[in-house]
Amino acid sequence: MTVVTESETRAVRRSAPPGRPRRKVSREAVAAWTLALPFVVLFLAFTAGPVLGSLGMSFTDIKQRDLRTPFSVNGVGFGNYVKALGDETFRKAAFNTAYFVVIGVPLTLVVALAAAVLLDRGVKRFQALFKVGYYLPVVTSIVAIAVIWRFVLSPDNGLLNTVLGWVGIDGPNWLASKTWAMPSLIAMAVWRNFGSAMIIFLAGLQGIPDSVEEAGQIDGAGSWQRFRYLILPLLRPTVLFTSVTTGIGYLQFFEEPFVMTQGGPLDSTISVSMATYDQFGFGNYGLATSMAYILFVVIAVITFIQFRLLREK
Amino acid sequence: MFTHSIRRRLVIGSAALTAAALALGGCGRSNDTKESGSQATTTVSQGPATGNLTVWAMGTEGENLPKLMEQFKQANPGVNVTVTPIPWDAAHNKFTTAITANTLPDAAMVGTTWMGEFADLGALDPTPQGFDNSGFYPGALDTTKVGGTQYGVPWYVETRLVFYRKDLAAKAGFSTPPTDWDGLKAMAKAMKDKAGAKYGINLQPGGDGSWQTVMPFAWSAGANITDDSQKQFTFDTPEMQEGLKYYQSFFTEKLAGTDLPPNQTEAQFVNGQVPMFISGPWMAGSVAKVGGDAIKPNIGVFQIPKNKTSTSFVGGSDFVVFKASKNKDSAWKLVKWLSDPKTQAAWFKLSSDLPAVKSAWQDPSIASDPLLPVFGKQLEDAKAPPAIVNWEQVAKAFDTEVEKMAKSGQSPADTAKAIQTKASQIGTGGS
Repeated sequence: MTVVTESETRAVRRSAPPGRPRRKVSREAVAAWTLALPFVVLFLAFTAGPVLGSLGMSFTDIKQRDLRTPFSVNGVGFGNYVKALGDETFRKAAFNTAYFVVIGVPLTLVVALAAAVLLDRGVKRFQALFKVGYYLPVVTSIVAIAVIWRFVLSPDNGLLNTVLGWVGIDGPNWLASKTWAMPSLIAMAVWRNFGSAMIIFLAGLQGIPDSVEEAGQIDGAGSWQRFRYLILPLLRPTVLFTSVTTGIGYLQFFEEPFVMTQGGPLDSTISVSMATYDQFGFGNYGLATSMAYILFVVIAVITFIQFRLLREK
Repeated sequence: MFTHSIRRRLVIGSAALTAAALALGGCGRSNDTKESGSQATTTVSQGPATGNLTVWAMGTEGENLPKLMEQFKQANPGVNVTVTPIPWDAAHNKFTTAITANTLPDAAMVGTTWMGEFADLGALDPTPQGFDNSGFYPGALDTTKVGGTQYGVPWYVETRLVFYRKDLAAKAGFSTPPTDWDGLKAMAKAMKDKAGAKYGINLQPGGDGSWQTVMPFAWSAGANITDDSQKQFTFDTPEMQEGLKYYQSFFTEKLAGTDLPPNQTEAQFVNGQVPMFISGPWMAGSVAKVGGDAIKPNIGVFQIPKNKTSTSFVGGSDFVVFKASKNKDSAWKLVKWLSDPKTQAAWFKLSSDLPAVKSAWQDPSIASDPLLPVFGKQLEDAKAPPAIVNWEQVAKAFDTEVEKMAKSGQSPADTAKAIQTKASQIGTGGS
């Protein structure tokens, strides 16, 4: 008769091939759930609950005044969705948001990648300083940024038009022009956001071993070729991550037009988030939540497409 | 005219930057219970106010009101008033939340454009008998009436006049201010041609709150926002088109600009670039802040020029008692005391808020002011938008269409039609 010590059995058990999961709840699981309980309860009460509640709201004609009697509202099926998609302002907002995303996301990524490559390859001495400098706008309050950019974009004595004046160009009234208001906001958003993507690219670049570049050099590849055919493919997961996060952020375009143009001139910078916000303000909760869910679905679809395109082959 | 003045927020109940955040909402259900129609028959009892009262007030009013309450306590030793100051940009939400959760104070200051909504939510107590309603300016009294019932009383008022540079007007050949539409147009032209102004007058080219500058011209031409029942919008009328056409002509004739940077009204007035604008009493102080003592003698005001009438916009705040109050009798005594001419004059000295009670304007502190009596005169003919639940939403549609008219030349007829269409889709709201 062999005496089996506890530690041995445990070792045996651990190395046993995985069979059916044991039905007995282990003590670890109990402990884990107990520890997670506060979060789970709060998540259900303050995140999952409201999310499902607002989904339900989007199919009713609920208004602010009905909050006292939320179960007396009438279901309207997809009525709010139809109304939103047919609404002139919402369509304009959808167009503006698409414009902002289509131009803004690639521009932000290109600027961020360029800055990251420059910092990774070129600037060795003051790298930390530049990193901080480029990242600073990301953590600066939008209000402070708005003040600075108003000065930059001011028509008469603004920085931009003054500089343009030196080379004989009569600059437009950037924020008050239907043509130029959105490009101005795109420039502002790129400047404000490229720092966070840059930091991630930088981390990705630093994760690529030098031997890869060296091998390319030995094979006679030029610096552009090395970047294009070695570095960029290796950065694929990083590009996926930054394009998804930037895309999601930009689809929720709100702060820049809210503080700079209030959606004007002539609704040329109103975004889907702003249109939703306005409807909440008017107390049209049903319509507002439907707009929010339209945006949610669009974000989900676009993110899915990005994953399909950029997935590891 | 686009000003960030705090006082402007007092009027429209929303900061220019957070207009949407405060925008009104809520729409009725026909099966909802609501006080309707008839005036309350309750009266306020005799004797002093007693017990505890809680009062909410916004902005600078919230800061200054405790001083006034000390005077109220001297007259009513048995009462204890707690004033809660509320920032303007959080106020609308706080009220609607409190109405929903039943955590309202006894009495409060309420922006005039919120009255329709709060009454529709069934939160306001109808005004008891025994108030001297004839003592109030008629336009201000109208802001307290929702569907034929009066709630609360007007507390303070403001109205809009044309501000102009006296010295530049003299240069342009105007020794007395114009009184009719042609005169105002001629003056704006002369300011540009003879007094070296870039634009004759600063008019807001649509956008948030521009209805407050456009509607005076439309009202003066005989237009109305709704019919008498306040159920049907009447934007698409020849009168409204006439007002819009006149407003647009300033932009098409380059007498007003669509490209002026926002919030520079005072500065452009002081440097003579744009020597006229239309705004409320607070602007005298704002201009003096920018231009110093030198500008003060050159600030002139005159009434909205006449077409059929010379009607301006009236704003301000009302004082209400909430239906849920446990101490209604004393709360109404407080409101009654607030609308006493003596209290109104004392409040003006504390806050510079213009009295809603006509007789308070005889107080020397107001009567001897170089500008204020003109505001008093204008208040005799001033209108507020109807107290309908969806007013803010309708106003936003109005502002958007006016912007199209001013900036991209949409015709006044199309503008009136578009406003009417959008407003009818939104509806007046309420039950």
